[in-house]
Amino acid sequence: MSDGASTESIPLYVKQPKIYPREIKGRFARLRVIAVWVLLGLYYVLPWININGQQIVLFDLVNRQFHIFGITLWPQDLIILSLLLAMAALTLFFFTALAGRLWCGYACPQTVWTEVFLWLERFAEGRRNKRMRLDQGPWNREKIARKSAKQFLWITFALWTGFTFVGFFVPIRDLGMRTLEFNLGGWETFWLFFYAFATYGNAGYLREQVCKYMCPYARFQSAMFDDDSLVISYDVNRGEPRGPRKKTADRAELGLGDCIDCLGCVQVCPTGIDIRDGLQIECIACAACIDVCDDVMDRMGYPRGLIRYTTENAMAGKPTRILRPRIFIYLAALLALATLVGLVLTGREPLLVDVLRDRTALHRVTDQALENPYTLKLSNRTDRDLAVRIDVQSQALTGLRIIEPTGPVVIAPSEVANQPLTIGLPIEQAQTGMHEITITATDAAGNVLNETETRFFIPARALE
Amino acid sequence: MTRADLEIPPRPLAQRLGAILWPSFFAAGVAAMVFFAIVDPLMLRDVTFPDLEMSRMAGYTIGFFLFWAATAASSLFTWLLLRPASRFNRRMPS
Repeated sequence: MSDGASTESIPLYVKQPKIYPREIKGRFARLRVIAVWVLLGLYYVLPWININGQQIVLFDLVNRQFHIFGITLWPQDLIILSLLLAMAALTLFFFTALAGRLWCGYACPQTVWTEVFLWLERFAEGRRNKRMRLDQGPWNREKIARKSAKQFLWITFALWTGFTFVGFFVPIRDLGMRTLEFNLGGWETFWLFFYAFATYGNAGYLREQVCKYMCPYARFQSAMFDDDSLVISYDVNRGEPRGPRKKTADRAELGLGDCIDCLGCVQVCPTGIDIRDGLQIECIACAACIDVCDDVMDRMGYPRGLIRYTTENAMAGKPTRILRPRIFIYLAALLALATLVGLVLTGREPLLVDVLRDRTALHRVTDQALENPYTLKLSNRTDRDLAVRIDVQSQALTGLRIIEPTGPVVIAPSEVANQPLTIGLPIEQAQTGMHEITITATDAAGNVLNETETRFFIPARALE
Repeated sequence: MTRADLEIPPRPLAQRLGAILWPSFFAAGVAAMVFFAIVDPLMLRDVTFPDLEMSRMAGYTIGFFLFWAATAASSLFTWLLLRPASRFNRRMPS
């Protein structure tokens, strides 16, 4: 990529000082630690939980069914999945309008995994000042040892994350066994490393740059915000004029506000901003600056809350309204969607039929007939046995008949039966080409349970 | 003030790559999800290359990367169109 005739070099990474967020203790830091444990706990543990021999959350792409907490979703249930995603988006809008960027500070995978990578980094390389000294210092034995230790921890954790990710799509216990035997399929291996690498890069190196340059939410959140949304803000009136002073000094006498300009809020900020400059798009509302400032205020003997969760209205001395039209609109839409999901879930088809063509032989010719073999995947979604009769119709071909199965197929509740299906056509009726046919499944009482389209293949060479 | 003063300096490579690859990745993910919810890769194989040996997982993966290639190409195109002329113009060697 050339940028004109100039010889300017373009740096590979964003030119800005590397951010070394300082470690913090406090109310909100504790909340985040809890969020990290709960969310990552769910991520790493859920796939290992089985109920009645069924992995509790499994997006089984190979068999085209999603198992989510005892509910099985099929491709035909795409609408439910879409509705659930719409609900997730609306929930995000709702909480954003109510409490600002809660998502960013406590629940976003970027934040949560970055937090863990920071813990690992701190464990291997030490606290903020030590890390900065280590980076500036020469590559001596200690630096090599500490950096290698960090990489080892990061890579191990990232690989485990990638493994778990694949475990949401392929039964994880089996996947685990095969990983130990170095017997993974190509695609499994690929996605394991792909996700591991994404975690390693995003949480280890890109960090706040993902929020600043890559995150769409940071850009459109202003659409959900209003003057009553919770934001993190520095109280300018109380803080200014800022300046250092002795703990014993009388700030009124010195003409100073409450901010002692210790830069604590700047040092802890994971995105490297100064909250005292006002509302900024970079702020992920992690509240680290609140924790550190409260601590300083305690030590100075000043009241807490120089930096605090507040609203623009409150800052302007106006009342804050929590219950406002925006909140009710989001809530109403959420309720409507939830109702819709419930309705769709309860009104699903009793039998699903999936017709798969035989992979090895598309057709075969017997004495009198040309046959196409298929495999039927019959999924019984009711809680009773179904005796299913299979029929075939076609507008283009006459004389089609079912050769196998010969009678009704009985399928147990929630069972997915793989039933070989052979359809035959008398040779004299055959016309070259792919022909649309319809497979009909009826129950014992003659009710049509399902109709599925597929194709009947007659190659030219079969008729020679 | 000349035009050159108003120019935005070139963004770093990582930012450019991110702005092209990431939104297209996202769009490709959504597209692949919706597409494969409706279309079974094995049935797609049957109507296109019936003799091809292919697993469903391979179908999903190939499909996703095809989508990503298309969306990334579109993002790349947008980036090219938004570049100021000064990034292309140059003096003739004298």
